[in-house]
Amino acid sequence: MTAASNSPQRVLVIWCPDWGPGADPGAGPDAGAFEQVVTAVEEFSPRVEVVRPGACAIGARGPARYFGGEETLAEKIASAVAGQGHPCQVGVADGLFAAQLAAQAAGSPGPVLVVGPGETPAFLAPHPVSVLGDPELADLLTRLGVRTLGEFAALPATAAAARFGTQGAIGHRLARGLDPRPLVPRPPAADLSASAEFDPPAGQAEPVAFTAKALAEQMHAGLAARGLACVRVQVQVICEDGQEIARLWRHDGLLSALAVAERVRWQLAGWRTARDARGEGGTDAPGDDGVTAGGVTLLRLVPDQLVRATGRQLGLWGDAVVSDRVARAALRVQAMLGHGSVTRPVLSGGRGPADQVTLVPFGDAADPALPPDRPWPGRIPAPAPATVYPFPLPASVLDESGNPVTVTGRALVSAAPARLSACGGPWLAITSWAGPWPVAERWWRPASARRKARFQLVAEDGSAWLAVLSGGQWLIEARYE
Amino acid sequence: MGVEVTQAPQVTPPSSQAPSSQAPSSLELSPRHPLSRYSNEDALTGEGVLPVLPALRELLPAGGLPRGSVVAAGGWSLLCLALAAEASAAGAWCAVTGLPQAGVAAAADAGLDPGRMLLVAEPGPGWPQVVVSLLDGCELVLLHPPDRPSALVRRRIEATVRRFGGVLVVAGDWEGAQLRLLVTDQQWAGIGAGHGRLRARRVRVVADGRGAAARPRARWLWLPAPDGSVAVCDPADVTTGQCEPADHIGARETFWKEMQRTG
Repeated sequence: MTAASNSPQRVLVIWCPDWGPGADPGAGPDAGAFEQVVTAVEEFSPRVEVVRPGACAIGARGPARYFGGEETLAEKIASAVAGQGHPCQVGVADGLFAAQLAAQAAGSPGPVLVVGPGETPAFLAPHPVSVLGDPELADLLTRLGVRTLGEFAALPATAAAARFGTQGAIGHRLARGLDPRPLVPRPPAADLSASAEFDPPAGQAEPVAFTAKALAEQMHAGLAARGLACVRVQVQVICEDGQEIARLWRHDGLLSALAVAERVRWQLAGWRTARDARGEGGTDAPGDDGVTAGGVTLLRLVPDQLVRATGRQLGLWGDAVVSDRVARAALRVQAMLGHGSVTRPVLSGGRGPADQVTLVPFGDAADPALPPDRPWPGRIPAPAPATVYPFPLPASVLDESGNPVTVTGRALVSAAPARLSACGGPWLAITSWAGPWPVAERWWRPASARRKARFQLVAEDGSAWLAVLSGGQWLIEARYE
Repeated sequence: MGVEVTQAPQVTPPSSQAPSSQAPSSLELSPRHPLSRYSNEDALTGEGVLPVLPALRELLPAGGLPRGSVVAAGGWSLLCLALAAEASAAGAWCAVTGLPQAGVAAAADAGLDPGRMLLVAEPGPGWPQVVVSLLDGCELVLLHPPDRPSALVRRRIEATVRRFGGVLVVAGDWEGAQLRLLVTDQQWAGIGAGHGRLRARRVRVVADGRGAAARPRARWLWLPAPDGSVAVCDPADVTTGQCEPADHIGARETFWKEMQRTG
């Protein structure tokens, strides 16, 4: 049933449960710490592919021959990774998908499970269709009575493709123990890699990561011009002292420029941690996320495992009006201070002054957190305050007799506010005031419910404040100046 | 409804100059529209000044913000945003740095285009380098220096402003600024003791500086006017002096009615 030419190569997957089984790269311990695991695996095979933080894969055929069999190789790797302080499970099977499942299924007799050549379809058969990682497809199949991969694989391939579309065809190939997509049979004729030199060498991780973003866009443009997209990207970093680190990264789906830059930053941070652990780069200050021992002189991104581009829109700037000059200035500041330090404001909905603006890091897609075109009853009235404190300032508001001003549950104020002290400042007499304007937000969701009353206060020196009373505590949210 | 009238000329023409703001009745375009006086691109690349709101033109000797100059606005307030508003509406990029508290909604109401704003809330100890980088890309940079710059740093930033032909608006003081603006008086209107709400603020802005700007000029402005924009304040209204806030509203409403009738 499986064509011999199509049969996938033997793959060994190392899975560390510390990082969780999900595809969310932010979960679990620091993604950079996984670098230690990868370094340990590299002792066995130079081409390690990081599937995601927490899982990496190597081709099993060559190392298995050298180390005397797949079981022996897997056990050696498992003990080497466990020596780094990370429990792990190792699986070997035909193809990456089956090997990942084998690694997750391993564990009861020992940390290793080897599925012999040709046994992969039988190994996959009892697994539920949900392991395909496509909830929509799994839901549909279950409702049609197809519950396991074995039952799915028994369907004719053409019928599966006709009924379930591209995703169904990919899932069907996986269920049969094949690679998800046929690889492009010939290597690309042109060099599609993108590289940048750093002179003087870059000592910090940030500028390298930001160059990576530009390089990734350049690489994607080159690929897109040929109708291709990369599933894996190799990040090569060459340092001042001649040392070279290269890492293969995979994304479930296709990589965006920002995703590549993020992986480069992880790689550099993780590499530095590993260096410190070995005691090589001992002079740098802790907490500095730089590559201090020998700056980076060259960064190269090499696209690997090319597939036909199936129409995914690559990440563009949030908005086409950003000129090159502005983009260059913003990127330079981002390289100095970090990606999140340069933001573009997007007006959004909401009632409080701080809700009405969403700050989007420059280069990311701009979506308001709350839709601005809704009525938002109870929002603060125009004119908008010129000063909106990112964190509201504590304040005290007293009435004529020196008691704190409170508001009852029926939005009645205890007494007219007479004196105000903002953030421990001097007491100011209040000449005019307005309020209380009660706000009860998200009362249907107790965890994020908020009940507050807003006031506008004008002090004797002419300053005007937007104050809020919430839970008996006065806060200054904004200042009209 | 208020937008059309905010930039209308004064009811009683002031005795001083400013012939430019008397023309709008003959224009098809609203006088607020940037194309009415400046063709979009050329205004920002060719001329020697960046445009400012009509209400502020009389305060500035050049009728705008001279390119390559540093303007000190005496502390963070709506005045800083008002200075940047017209140029931003006409297509200039505006960077705001060192001001995490800058209110973007107020900026949009004053006339800035939020789509052409860059915010660098915390420039950190290396802020002079950040300012220099921003000046390379943006015509306007609003800065609140986190610390007092040394003379060397100041001269370096001033040289960068001149080289790129932008304008640096400092929310604070800046030794050697070409222009200095200060809000000397302010009165809020529309709010009483437990009733009403803040609707508008009348301010007296004094401008002085070096060279052509050496002679101090003072104007009463609505900053903000009831719709959040910036408008010239009726001098007759100012001379009524201290009156009750409720009377402010009455006076202001007769003012608006008068303006709608005439403009």
